[in-house]
Amino acid sequence: MHYNHFLHKDRPVSDVPRPVKRLLLLALLMQLTWHSFQEPVVAKAKDLAPPLSTRTYVMSSLGEPIAAAKFLNLWLQAFDNQPGASIPFYQLNYPRLTKWLDTILELDPEGHYPMLVAARVYGSIQNPEKQRIMTDYVFYKFNENPNKYWRWLAHVIITAKHELKDNDLALKYANALAEKATGKNVPYWAKDMKIIVLEDMGEVEAAKILVGALIESNEITDPYELNFLTNKIAVLEEKTLKKRQSVEK
Amino acid sequence: MLSQVLTIARFTIIESLRNRLLLLSFLVIGISFGLVEFIGDLAITEHRVTQVAILAAFLRMSAVVIITLFVVSSTVRELHDKTLEMILAMPIRRGNYYLGKMIGYFYIAALVAIIFAVLLLLYADPEQIVIWTISLFFELVLVVALSLVMLFTFNQVPSALAAVFIIYGASRIVTSIFLMAKYPIIAHTSIAQQFMDGFIELLTWLLPDLHRFTQTAWLTYNTADWSTLLPLFGQTVIYLIFLSFIALFDFYRKNF
Repeated sequence: MHYNHFLHKDRPVSDVPRPVKRLLLLALLMQLTWHSFQEPVVAKAKDLAPPLSTRTYVMSSLGEPIAAAKFLNLWLQAFDNQPGASIPFYQLNYPRLTKWLDTILELDPEGHYPMLVAARVYGSIQNPEKQRIMTDYVFYKFNENPNKYWRWLAHVIITAKHELKDNDLALKYANALAEKATGKNVPYWAKDMKIIVLEDMGEVEAAKILVGALIESNEITDPYELNFLTNKIAVLEEKTLKKRQSVEK
Repeated sequence: MLSQVLTIARFTIIESLRNRLLLLSFLVIGISFGLVEFIGDLAITEHRVTQVAILAAFLRMSAVVIITLFVVSSTVRELHDKTLEMILAMPIRRGNYYLGKMIGYFYIAALVAIIFAVLLLLYADPEQIVIWTISLFFELVLVVALSLVMLFTFNQVPSALAAVFIIYGASRIVTSIFLMAKYPIIAHTSIAQQFMDGFIELLTWLLPDLHRFTQTAWLTYNTADWSTLLPLFGQTVIYLIFLSFIALFDFYRKNF
């Protein structure tokens, strides 16, 4: 078929009655005028609303709880980036955040995503009070199922020791890990996390040992998670280097 | 008789191919691929599982929407263009016509399910995908039968489509509603509440167990085995017979 057919298949514009053309232009002008009188849209950061019941998410996803959980993971992770506004993680309502993480875990009990963000994203902010909420949350979930969530407690031990500077808390977690995570899937080194707490080791070294051990025991298989944790270590290294340089000066 | 059925089935398939249904399916595949790759980049862990979960749910919904739209619009056109009257003026039973259409639509449903499954091969275990695809086909078989019932009942595209989507949605979530009604946070004993509880329970008896079909967990956590398909097959056969006789009951009573 010739392309002219598509260009000239309709009648020419001159066939359209003049009032129709004028009214079309007038309608467009009215729309533009209407818009100019509207209040300008201002970006407002919204607070994190409390989650609905798990069943509500199951129903609204037409019986797809896992897909709903994965979608909520990404939505929650991106909550700090709202259209036109950005809320730092530390400004989020942390008790409410833990409720969201619980809801997601209820929707997808096999998933570990909420535990990673609790331990390494929301638990890595510069606000000790809120960091404690996250470490407590990870510890609480660990107590529910130690053999499943042990590796997240291992991350939190390092946070407690190096970021919260709370050796007692770190020891409490390390002892719990040794006593409760007794499954065959838990490697021997995890039961010896006390060494990391007691030894005079820097945060970077401790984090490197942990990630290395997790890779060796096949706990980290997702390349994206590995990439994320490696980046975290690189940021820590940079921070430590800067600190050292400022001390030397 | 068989040749009549097969001829009708063949023309239904030819129509679907001329209707650019396959093109639409490939378009959905393209959009899904873009979407899922974008989602994969957002995830910081469980990247593959996140992709599979969202992709499987999206493909399942898309397959249902595409098949429903095709079945309803194609049958309505036959009704309005008087093609159906012309066919029925020939020595052909209404039952044979219905059977021929169903076989044609089943073939298309299988085709759509397979096309969608090919994309999943990039992200999930092949054996689990085969089980998921067969289950999706069973689900689409019920959607085809339901679409025909609703069309023979309402004769109009908007009402038929609305009815199919409402019944399909209800079949997917009725168990959740039933559990919410059975174990409420605050117990009520009013007559209205008892009536609603009874009505919801009745729905669980009348609607197919679609929440057991085509589960995303099979693809994300490899939880399905071949025996999973047996109860789904049983439910499909029983509900297909039920829907077919409702459709035939309506179809035989229709005056053209």
